[in-house]
Amino acid sequence: MKLFSSFVKELKIASRGFYFYIEIFMAVLILAIFLFAVPDNFNNKNAEYIFLEMPIQAEEIYLEAIAENDLDKQSEAVKIKIDNKEKDASLYVTEDKEIYILNSREDVIYMGDIERKVAAVIKMDENYEFNYDYYLQGYESDRLKNILKILHVESSDTIETAMDNQDVRPLLTNYETLSDKENMLPSVMVFNGSLMGLFIIAAYIFLDKQEGVIKAYALTPSPVWIYLMSKVGLILMTSVLSSFIVLIPIVGLKPDYLLLLILLLTTGFFSASLGLFIASFYKNIMQAFGVIFSVMMLMIVPNISYFMPSWNPDFVKLIPSYFMLEGFKSVLLGNNDWTYVLTISGGFLIIGLVLFFISNMRYKKTLVG
Amino acid sequence: MFKRMWTIFIRDLKVNTKDFISLYIFVVPILFAVLINIFAPGINDTTVNLALIEGENQEQVEYFEQFAKVELFENVDAVKERVKKRDTMIGILPENNSYYLMTQGNEQEGVIDLAKLLNSFYEMDISIEESNGEIIEFGRTVPPLKKILVNISILFISILGGMLIALNIVEEKVENTLSAINLTPTRRLTFILGKSLTGIFFTLFGTFVLIFITGFGSINILQLLLVLLITTTLSVLVGFIQGLTNKDVISAAGSIKLLFLPLLAGVLAIELLGDKWQNFFYWNPFYWAYKGNDAILSQSGTWGQILLYSGIVLFLNAIVFLIIAPRIRKGLE
Repeated sequence: MKLFSSFVKELKIASRGFYFYIEIFMAVLILAIFLFAVPDNFNNKNAEYIFLEMPIQAEEIYLEAIAENDLDKQSEAVKIKIDNKEKDASLYVTEDKEIYILNSREDVIYMGDIERKVAAVIKMDENYEFNYDYYLQGYESDRLKNILKILHVESSDTIETAMDNQDVRPLLTNYETLSDKENMLPSVMVFNGSLMGLFIIAAYIFLDKQEGVIKAYALTPSPVWIYLMSKVGLILMTSVLSSFIVLIPIVGLKPDYLLLLILLLTTGFFSASLGLFIASFYKNIMQAFGVIFSVMMLMIVPNISYFMPSWNPDFVKLIPSYFMLEGFKSVLLGNNDWTYVLTISGGFLIIGLVLFFISNMRYKKTLVG
Repeated sequence: MFKRMWTIFIRDLKVNTKDFISLYIFVVPILFAVLINIFAPGINDTTVNLALIEGENQEQVEYFEQFAKVELFENVDAVKERVKKRDTMIGILPENNSYYLMTQGNEQEGVIDLAKLLNSFYEMDISIEESNGEIIEFGRTVPPLKKILVNISILFISILGGMLIALNIVEEKVENTLSAINLTPTRRLTFILGKSLTGIFFTLFGTFVLIFITGFGSINILQLLLVLLITTTLSVLVGFIQGLTNKDVISAAGSIKLLFLPLLAGVLAIELLGDKWQNFFYWNPFYWAYKGNDAILSQSGTWGQILLYSGIVLFLNAIVFLIIAPRIRKGLE
């Protein structure tokens, strides 16, 4: 009961300050950007710039082969700015590529060197075999270079047949995938909800310290943990509210909102407790700022492996936000992966409780001083 | 006036050294730089990750290692467990004198295609010696991802500069020293500029530490300085308005967070969105600052380009200033 009345009091105070409204405004702003400015899927077509250094007959055959993969089976005449001059080129658009056929090797080198595009010259030797010159920037990995070296040893048809004959066996076939837009949401939620919670709760504590609220609190019969928990409650409410504002209009009813709520509350609780814990070592926000900021930076690192699943070193999996991202992704997918989400929620809850307990002990001693 | 500005600046520096802020000013850019140096090469080296069975076919392992990262496991079940994990890993497993690909089912199509391609090459016994491709390099060593990370960090540092200003001002307010300054002969403008110096100092210092540690020391420093100073004016303006309008640290910190949004929007628009979406972001100063920094870090920026981008940022900042100038004046009273 005491906890509840303390929480309500915090809510009342917060509703008079700016911060609460900034959070809501921020959520609405994020929502507006997602609704109006972010497309469902990004244009991931890679552009390639190619010159065919071969007799005209061979060139025609080669272009016919490319045109077969073109979405409307024909090329489009386009102008490309090369070295400040408008030059003619033919554009072929396939499912995953935009292929520009240029008119000289110099133009290809220009596009590769100055514009940093993917550039290649395809030439024919005296035995009527195709040879390939790839223009690379130099930072590409040896593995990628090796792939390029053998990419065209066999004809495209032979390779395509061999690839079609590959037996691919997925462990699960009914995997839902997120659109590019939806895929960005877990990252937004971790940053906006959990990570800022860490910072904000510390700021709250220091503010109360500065204004003498805590000294006044020490004179009342309420234990310190109620004071701390009502602060945590406020952070959690803000984070849940702002996350729902963003999520509901974008993903609709697809996710399981109960599961989402559990995950939001537990990850938020963990971050807030971590914030309390860190704040307990310092006198004011300026002192604590460096540590809080470094922790936030560290928590941002798993975003890289979230967006590039092929890069996933083990140490990234030691950073808590890795699990937050994966958890939110699971919930958004709506694939009812209850076990995974509940396991990580449980983990965050337990670690959060431990941190909260230690912080409570520390604050009992230091809060008033 | 300059002497007073200098006094305010030195005083802020002194006050900040007593706090942990000074430590943080030195540590954050170095931390950014070290993290970028550690992560960028590994990320750049990523093609596809393959899981194979140990001792089953050593020649195949060696073959795949030329093109992909290979991890070895004891048996099919161990590979299965690994593939099931949340990152992208594709198993290539033996069955009846042939190999099949084990996927989780949620991989990107391109990654599966690459694994299929590599296994096809192996089956067709194509070796690098047979290559009909020649690789010509332009001799650049900095991967694009590293450039992106450095660029984002530069903008981040400039926002932090603004945050520093806001926190400094809020502290003055809390301690009631702001009204005291009104009684001294120090003019408002002097005070504003003096306060801003700390933020600018932090941004410049941080950025130069960052670019030298990450190996971008040979870029055109003058161009960078121009873009940097102009971008920082925005952070300074926002830092000021936050510091003056907010009564406490918490609101100031919360509203600075708003700055991260246009920053990330600008970066994501340039790196991820197609051409037709770009004009949605022309209002965003960070969009142009990012573009300018990108041209400088790539060492491809002409002075015309840099002046254009900086001009646009300056123009947008001037609009922001016109809107918030009355509030700054009021806040100082």
